[in-house]
Amino acid sequence: MISSYTVGIYPRSEELIEATRKNSKNLSSFYLREKKEYIAIQKKAKLGYVCDPLLDWDDIYRPFSKLKSVKLAALNRIYETNTFYRRLSFDGPLDDAGNIVKSSLAISLLPKNRTVCLADPYTIADVHLSAKYTKREEFTLAIAKMLRKEIDTLVKSGFELVQLVAPSVAYNEKVDFGIVKNALEIITRGLKAKTILHFYFGDVSKKIEKLLDMPVSGLGFDTMLTPISSIKKHNFSGKSLAVGIVNSYNTKLEDKQDCITELNSIISKTKPDKAFVTTSFDLQYLPKDFAVRKILRLGEIARGVRSA
Amino acid sequence: MHKYFPTQEIGSLKKPSWLLNVVKNPDISKKDKSRARNDAALLNIKTLEDIGLDIIYDGEVRRVEMYEEPVRHIKGFKFAGRVRSWDNKYYNKARITGEISYQQNFHAEEFKFIRENARHDIKVPVTGAYTLADWSYDEHYKSKEELVLALARNVVRPLVKDLVKLGAKIIQIDEPAATSHPSEMNIFRQSVNESVKGINAKVVVHACFSGNDYETLAPQMSEIKAQQYTLEFANRDSWNLGVNDKERKGYHVLKLFKEYGYKGEIGIGVTDVHVDRIETPKLVRDRILYSAKALGDPAKVYVNPDCGLRTRSRTVAFEKIKAMVEGAELARQAMGN
Repeated sequence: MISSYTVGIYPRSEELIEATRKNSKNLSSFYLREKKEYIAIQKKAKLGYVCDPLLDWDDIYRPFSKLKSVKLAALNRIYETNTFYRRLSFDGPLDDAGNIVKSSLAISLLPKNRTVCLADPYTIADVHLSAKYTKREEFTLAIAKMLRKEIDTLVKSGFELVQLVAPSVAYNEKVDFGIVKNALEIITRGLKAKTILHFYFGDVSKKIEKLLDMPVSGLGFDTMLTPISSIKKHNFSGKSLAVGIVNSYNTKLEDKQDCITELNSIISKTKPDKAFVTTSFDLQYLPKDFAVRKILRLGEIARGVRSA
Repeated sequence: MHKYFPTQEIGSLKKPSWLLNVVKNPDISKKDKSRARNDAALLNIKTLEDIGLDIIYDGEVRRVEMYEEPVRHIKGFKFAGRVRSWDNKYYNKARITGEISYQQNFHAEEFKFIRENARHDIKVPVTGAYTLADWSYDEHYKSKEELVLALARNVVRPLVKDLVKLGAKIIQIDEPAATSHPSEMNIFRQSVNESVKGINAKVVVHACFSGNDYETLAPQMSEIKAQQYTLEFANRDSWNLGVNDKERKGYHVLKLFKEYGYKGEIGIGVTDVHVDRIETPKLVRDRILYSAKALGDPAKVYVNPDCGLRTRSRTVAFEKIKAMVEGAELARQAMGN
């Protein structure tokens, strides 16, 4: 058996979609009930780490709109999907960070083996705006410092695994890895939690060597876009490896045995310190019924794989 | 002399609230619902004609939505449920679980009604194969290319043929997803060409702006068997008057189309469908004049909103279309046309 977790935001049920559209009076109780349900499903699937399903996050960046100097800007497409996010404009100091993410999670519902998913600083600076930080590096490092405050609070609240999703690192042809690394150092230096940098919406097969040099505990991959054959070419000793083999972008359910066989092969070739199996990215790209089946299948796959 | 700058709509308008109340009411008979849809279609047709649009449709008043409507009628699709577009907005996304096939002309009723009631030219919007594929979960085909071509050959082409048989002379293939995957432009090109193979009608392609300023579309345009592209420009343009590069920043890409040797028509979006602010006729005029100069031939310029106006209230939508028609007339006057 290897460890497992899901990445990102979960889909809302039809009932919750209607409640959010109508801005129902008891919306918070709808959220709470459905969060409880999703957490119970993750426990039932025996996932290694359990997360808040982030049902009340309109996109992965939205909680940061609560920072005093951040304004909501125009809608923008999420890479090549048919889903959009609201751009944020970081127009002043980010001194009031520290409790934004924690206050946006249902921590009391989570078990001890808890994980949280945030965007990495490079991605946030890449897809948002700033009137204050006009240079990319300056903006990225300011975001990293803001995230570090948030993550310190989360670690104190018992989060053992921090996922940093980095779709811009995957999607962009040209990436300044110096900036990515400097920003990650701000986040991970002395941090008492495991950090996994997760890539999706782009093929990172040609970037893996550089990514292995990043100051994080491990790397995670969407294997629909980064071919497994390219991951297998690398040695992950000293790092954790998270394999996003459960496709969050298609309703077709993975064959359990095929995935187990593939994961055993990946682990034996790459020799990571610790291996995880995950979803390829956010389950919100599927309707709820399909997402639930994927979570349960993820657990079955994890239980069938030999440990790293 | 040929009339420059014909005006047209793109497709959808917000449905009147009275129509929604009727069609959602389980106590109202099918016959009465059908009558209400006819009334709404007639209202849209007459309103658009009275405003002065040269080429019209019915605001897609009978269609649920541009993706869901065709998917309901194509064999091989099954709805999976709603997924997020943004925030609290969702769309009903379908799975492809078997061979897809065309069953019947699902736009026949609306087209016949418009044909019988419209005095102006008609442009029929048809959702394109590439977008249908891109917005669905494919559980059946081996590749996206295979799925797209199956939809193009086995669904969109027979549908377009049937519409042409009924008298349609202008077909608009709606492809909002066209440029969202720059690496798949080759598939998109094949998709349109296969969809309109052997079709005896004017083919228009509508593609929304998807973050790359149509730079990936430009090299393909001459290779695609379309006589016109209706595209989105206004929402990236300034609101200042002027026919210079600085003020008309949303339209610079037209020069790129010319550089790539595209010689067909462009339906230029002169109306931002994402804001309630109404463009002035003078602003519309300047956008048209800049475009005519950039393309080097005023006869190639048609005038339309950026996209369907269903995101705006009906009052705002009709005001925007009115300003567009007036702006086109000002542009004609400026050209001595």
